[in-house]
Amino acid sequence: MSIKKPVEHIAKATPPSIARRVRGLSDRAIAWLFVGPSIVLLLAVNIFPLIWTINLSFTNFKANRLRDAEYIGLRNYERILTDADTWQSMQATAHFLFWTIFFQVLIGFALAYLINKKFKGNDLWTTIIVLPMMLSPAVVGNFWTFLYQPQIGLFNYVVQFFTGVEASSFSMIGSVTLAPWAIVIVDTWMWTPFVMLICLAGLRSIPDSIYEAAECDRASKWRQFWTLTVPMVLPFLMLAVLFRGIENFKMFDLVVQLTGGGPGSTTLLTSIDLKREAFEKWRTGYASAYAVILFVTVFGLASIYVKALNKVKER
Amino acid sequence: MAEVSLQNVSKSFGDQVALENVTMTVPDGSFVVLLGPTGAGKTTILRMVSGLDKPDSGQILINGEDAASQSPAERNMAMVFQQYSLYPHLSVRQNLAFPLKSPMLRTPEDEIIRKVDAVAETLQISHKLDNKATELSGGEMQRVSIGRALVRKPQIFLMDEPLSSLDAKLRSDLRIELKRIQASLGATMLYVTHDQVEAMTMATHVGVLDHGKLVQFGSPREIYEDPVSIYSASRLGSPKINILPAEIFPGAPNGATSIGLRPEHISIGEGVEVKVGRVEHLGDQTRLHLKIGELDLMTLTDPHTKLTRGDTLSFLPRNPLYFDANGVRIKLGA
Repeated sequence: MSIKKPVEHIAKATPPSIARRVRGLSDRAIAWLFVGPSIVLLLAVNIFPLIWTINLSFTNFKANRLRDAEYIGLRNYERILTDADTWQSMQATAHFLFWTIFFQVLIGFALAYLINKKFKGNDLWTTIIVLPMMLSPAVVGNFWTFLYQPQIGLFNYVVQFFTGVEASSFSMIGSVTLAPWAIVIVDTWMWTPFVMLICLAGLRSIPDSIYEAAECDRASKWRQFWTLTVPMVLPFLMLAVLFRGIENFKMFDLVVQLTGGGPGSTTLLTSIDLKREAFEKWRTGYASAYAVILFVTVFGLASIYVKALNKVKER
Repeated sequence: MAEVSLQNVSKSFGDQVALENVTMTVPDGSFVVLLGPTGAGKTTILRMVSGLDKPDSGQILINGEDAASQSPAERNMAMVFQQYSLYPHLSVRQNLAFPLKSPMLRTPEDEIIRKVDAVAETLQISHKLDNKATELSGGEMQRVSIGRALVRKPQIFLMDEPLSSLDAKLRSDLRIELKRIQASLGATMLYVTHDQVEAMTMATHVGVLDHGKLVQFGSPREIYEDPVSIYSASRLGSPKINILPAEIFPGAPNGATSIGLRPEHISIGEGVEVKVGRVEHLGDQTRLHLKIGELDLMTLTDPHTKLTRGDTLSFLPRNPLYFDANGVRIKLGA
């Protein structure tokens, strides 16, 4: 008798599941009701196109022709991977990726380091520095073409001022050797603030007391920087590199506005090349294979990188 | 190895006065405990001596030399922070080795390993050497933080409540160990604590701080037996000194408004009648809660006492401490 009573009590106290009161649906059904629409949307706009693209990549389908496509096996892949022009595109992209990340990390970290020193008006400076990031890439591309103008461009004038090289003697976007650097400069100008912000978050996450302890442990500023600051900001820095890497791998708008891939094909990044194959030459099957190759590359590189990032975080 | 001297040191943070005109000499090789409630300025003194903060006015002398121009590194001191301040991305071993890797010391690699192992042994954290600093419990972090100070031989130790988050057993072990290490190195120690056992057992000198002012400086016995004020008297002693109106007992000197009674000032036998409240048997001693009318007091008695709640007994003060209306001690015969 004395055992039975508390059990009854508990049974009464447990409220009936909310689900059972909502038109007889189970908890699970309600969960599906919430997730369902997003899953359907995801399937429709992400997963299905991906599978369809893979399917098309094995055909000679052309979206501007009505005739049926034929399956041609791996021919598209074979042609892309043996095509010298594609490799040149890949190289241009690699050059762009490497140097934009290199400069953005270097300058972004340096700026963050300076801004993090508490001085008057550093909030104002942060806002000013972050401005380029807020502009539209098309606008940035457009006005940098003016800055790069040999006759009236501010950029050329500044170069002349500092180096003495005649402003009208070179054209950043017209020269085969300079154009790849022209796009690196603009992207760096625009996106360094982003890297800076992430680095700043990293720097601000390090409490002052760590530096005080190091000070008492007689570590020089130099040693504090290399053994405390850098390792503790590294995970943040790597995250910034990941974001910038993925973004710049699919860089399109800024470069199209600036150079349109030229002169020749010196700044023809893979995404621009791909767009031309798909929507100017209408080689849909070929472009699909191209897209699959790029996707696998980015996905592969990013996975390896994320693994490395997690390792650094665990340290 | 080092005498530390503060001369009229003042420090404010905004309009908050942290230290006001503190003058104090910490003799070479002494163990000075700073006492006072939170916000009394104990940590501020440590930070001044370490060089992490600069005084607004006044001087800090180390071995008679003005330390104002010396960086924390040049002062050759080791500090244990209240919030541990371990290097979170490093292992315990790397944390402990960090000070030894200073180019100022140039410790050879095998000696670093030997010293780190020895310190870890002392602090009972050998089994955690390869853990990351963030994977430790509070007590373990605190020990690593002490270890980081002990691995090298500084001339001054600055410790901010270094044993506060340890369990009782470890605390008493380390109390003895710290005292031993300090004595064998002959280093000067400035030590902040709330624990009166630590103060009484380890200190050669105690400094009592009240709202940024140093109100008394002397040996622990001096502070205990001869406090300058109620405030000072309340810092040491367990149970705490009983402060009662002076007129309850006969024989109060002129101007005395309060009488301070420690257990040893209470002579049970005859005199004022009191009622026994709670009786706490602590094993080695028994705490008696007594009531005189509405007033409470606490004293110690024989561990095997037969007294129980509701009993009455009488006592008279024996050599008690008297204080005036401002809480300042009135010395008899002065």
